Amino acid sequence: MKKYLSVLLAALMVLTIMAGCGGGNGGNTSTPSNNPSTPADNGGSAPSGSEPLKVANVVNGNLGDKSFFDSCEAGLKKLQDDGVITYKTFELGATDADQPKWVSTLDELSADGSYDLIVCGTYQMDAILNDCAAKYPDQKYFIYDAEVAQPNVASITFKQNDLGYLVGTAAALMTTSSMEKINPEKVIGFVGGEDGPVINDFLTGFIQGAQAADPEVKIDTQYVGNFYDTGKGKEIANVMVNNKCDVIWGVAGGAGNGAAEAAAEKDIWFIGVDSDQEATFSANQPQMAAVTIFSGLKNCGDGIIYMMGKLKDGSIEWGKTTQLGIAEGGVGLTSGGNFAKLPDNIKKALDDVAPKVTSGEIKVDTAFDESFDIKGLRDSVRP
Amino acid sequence: MLNQLIGIIFSETFVFSIFRITTPILFAALAAVIAERAGVTNIGLEGIMMISALTGVIFSAKLQSAWLGLLFAILLGVLTALMIGFFALKLKTDIILAGIAVNMLGNGGTIFVMFLVSGDRGYSANLASKVMPAINIPILQNIPILGKILSGHNILTYFAFICVLLVWILLYKTPMGLQIRAVGESPNAADSVGVSVNRIKYIALGLSGALAGMGGAFMSMGYMSSFNTNMTAGRGFIALAAEAMGRAEPVGTMLTSLLFGFADALANNMQSLGLPQELVAMTPYVFTVVGLAIYAASTLKKNRKKLE
Repeated sequence: MKKYLSVLLAALMVLTIMAGCGGGNGGNTSTPSNNPSTPADNGGSAPSGSEPLKVANVVNGNLGDKSFFDSCEAGLKKLQDDGVITYKTFELGATDADQPKWVSTLDELSADGSYDLIVCGTYQMDAILNDCAAKYPDQKYFIYDAEVAQPNVASITFKQNDLGYLVGTAAALMTTSSMEKINPEKVIGFVGGEDGPVINDFLTGFIQGAQAADPEVKIDTQYVGNFYDTGKGKEIANVMVNNKCDVIWGVAGGAGNGAAEAAAEKDIWFIGVDSDQEATFSANQPQMAAVTIFSGLKNCGDGIIYMMGKLKDGSIEWGKTTQLGIAEGGVGLTSGGNFAKLPDNIKKALDDVAPKVTSGEIKVDTAFDESFDIKGLRDSVRP
Repeated sequence: MLNQLIGIIFSETFVFSIFRITTPILFAALAAVIAERAGVTNIGLEGIMMISALTGVIFSAKLQSAWLGLLFAILLGVLTALMIGFFALKLKTDIILAGIAVNMLGNGGTIFVMFLVSGDRGYSANLASKVMPAINIPILQNIPILGKILSGHNILTYFAFICVLLVWILLYKTPMGLQIRAVGESPNAADSVGVSVNRIKYIALGLSGALAGMGGAFMSMGYMSSFNTNMTAGRGFIALAAEAMGRAEPVGTMLTSLLFGFADALANNMQSLGLPQELVAMTPYVFTVVGLAIYAASTLKKNRKKLE
């Protein structure tokens, strides 16, 4: 009896460890049924052709984030359904303990050499990929949301500062409007995950958009310090409500859900990020869905589809970074659900601003610019 | 800025938030107290909280009852703690390693189980889970300032503070408590007078699991209304520090837990005053270091007195 129990417990432990390793997407490797009839193969660029490309998707976290990794996975799925690629996803887990696995998996896949392309993402992977790409110069890589300067890597970044500008414009106009849930004070909030360049890039656009819409609007910025402490996300949002915020943008991954909870309890507006959070909440948390006015999207999947198109037609530039903005569908706002509740003047303002940001008529600063003083900007607009 | 900060500290919402923030830490710290007094260091609190947080959400969604969800969360907390006991006491593994294993189980295993049950991996979007009710205390809620501070908390917040009393009674006023303390202080002496050392240790671990389980349930069924991966975010470890600073005494541990709650609440407010986030994030840990230093100094003094 005791023996069986210990075997059972040991098995449970092994299962858990395996859960983190992923590989649960066995179905993804199946070859697509429809025969690919890709046009124009100019034969010049290395991994292109009429055969579907074999792609490895390295996820340094877990699928199911309803955001970044899921979006990327969906993009790859679409490409596979269209017969452009076949792919396999490797989920490696997000914690510090999983990090050695990120290095070893990337190395093994590269050494294996059977994949035409390896896709990975996030700024946590850039140093790892940089070493790996140098070690395997014949392997091609995509990295999204980070930059790696190696001749065999194509980097995809998103103009989250442009996205921030749109969200800031809308939020500032909301807090000065006569919408429901809006108080007289012109204060809006930004709950960030970590005080780092990607999050601050969102913030830069957010502040500049808000200030351009109404210079009197104050922006309360606070960081959770990670992307998973929902409790802290909620506490921070509560503090913001005490500071008279009535619109809060949560850019903090899972911790942003905490901010949404606070918004629902205090009956103020919440703005989601990366995926349509209103749709996600609407499954079982109607109060949270009800206060989510719209979400700012970073369409990772569309970005990968865009780049894959360039790879197929041979126009891709290895060793370069492609920045995807509003025009390329890389970033944008959700337009369904509660978005309809926005007054017409705000919708119109967004329609006016978007092309100007795209054309460069409105220049949005970026936190990736080393000389840009994000601290100064942040402190100058505090309530 | 100092004036602003003082204004915030003496506001009702600030004091209210201290109790809310303290609740999960207090449950876990009391769990650490009982285990520590029985001589078993339960380092797996973080993992137990994660497992119970998920269990509560799953069962409250499936059975459509917050109370049944809580019951199962406690049950799973007890079972997980007993598993640590089984490994450490029966199979003679190092109890620290067993605790670390449980923490890893709480991290990866919860994602695995959540995916099996609901298809969710990041957070429990597909589970219509319930939350424990908030309670307005009759008469008290009408008293001007006190009412706003003490009334309207989640029922588990009140229970956490009641548990301080219960744990104190258990440890100091019952035969079981005497046995727990005896086993913790000198297992051989306890054994020589016929106390079954392992039985007491199992009981202490079980109670510790129940308390940590309630802390986990509060996270996902009170503090939040859903389960999010890694949502306990180190509270199980902060609780171990609170227990150490509180010298494994129920009341002392409550005070140190409140200190952590205060530091955390303060940190949340300091950021909006424009202090750098890195500096603010250190606040709770600065409190820990200072607290432990004071503790070490006072024990040193005590020991010196004993020698004289």
